[in-house]
Amino acid sequence: MAPPIETGQPGVIIIGETKAKDELSSPWNVIVHNDPINLMSYVTMVFMRVFGYPRVRAETLMLEVHHKGRSLVWSGGREQAEHYVRQLHSYQLLATMEKSET
Amino acid sequence: MIDLKVQPLDEKRILISGIPPVLAAMLREVPEILELRDSPDARARLYPNPTADNDKINQEWRQMAGPELRHLFVSAGETVGRDLTALAVDGESGDAWRVAFPIEHVPAWINALNQARLILGEVHKIDEVEMNRTDFDPQSAKHMAALRIHLLGYLLHLFVELDSGDEPENRI
Repeated sequence: MAPPIETGQPGVIIIGETKAKDELSSPWNVIVHNDPINLMSYVTMVFMRVFGYPRVRAETLMLEVHHKGRSLVWSGGREQAEHYVRQLHSYQLLATMEKSET
Repeated sequence: MIDLKVQPLDEKRILISGIPPVLAAMLREVPEILELRDSPDARARLYPNPTADNDKINQEWRQMAGPELRHLFVSAGETVGRDLTALAVDGESGDAWRVAFPIEHVPAWINALNQARLILGEVHKIDEVEMNRTDFDPQSAKHMAALRIHLLGYLLHLFVELDSGDEPENRI
């Protein structure tokens, strides 16, 4: 977080725009990467449990991971992205997060 | 015909029945396999970085999430290890084995079986080609690791189907 700026006026300081705030508010993508061991049925189950996705969507994302090597499974705020990556890691899926370019 | 099943025994217990001797032997090895979770290769797989290139986030993650994940994985392994002490010959089905355990242990079984598969994969460098192998040389440690990954995976798949409520296609 950027330090506050003294204005010289009593009781008035300017809080600078913070990079941390920007990072928290910008969209982050949660990516799941393919690995040769995890079962397709297991990955589908994890997507349903972690994100609450219906089976059809979970299977579509699982197949994208399987065929393309990775799939963007969720996009949104950084804190929530961290929460999802942590959950995916607890299920032993290879998951990363990256700041969205859009 | 092998008739491996994972099903509720009653309201509080799950029963794995029809366990062929070879799978029973592999299940008894699971606690030993899980002890390899702290080997360098297994660590990299079980505790992956959350970003591809942000060292600061990755380092913070290792400090914050790493111990929590390890506790989860160790706890699941210990639960399954204790449950496996009840593994016994099933008197009703010839030379098959069975084991029953509390229904609340199902997440631990799913976690531990998957851990064991991933650890075997990392320790023996199992890739897509090895996973697609259909012939297994008993003299090859890599081939036997791939076979164990498949057999433990079959049992894991039955747990997943049980969890999702699907009718299991549970005959090999």
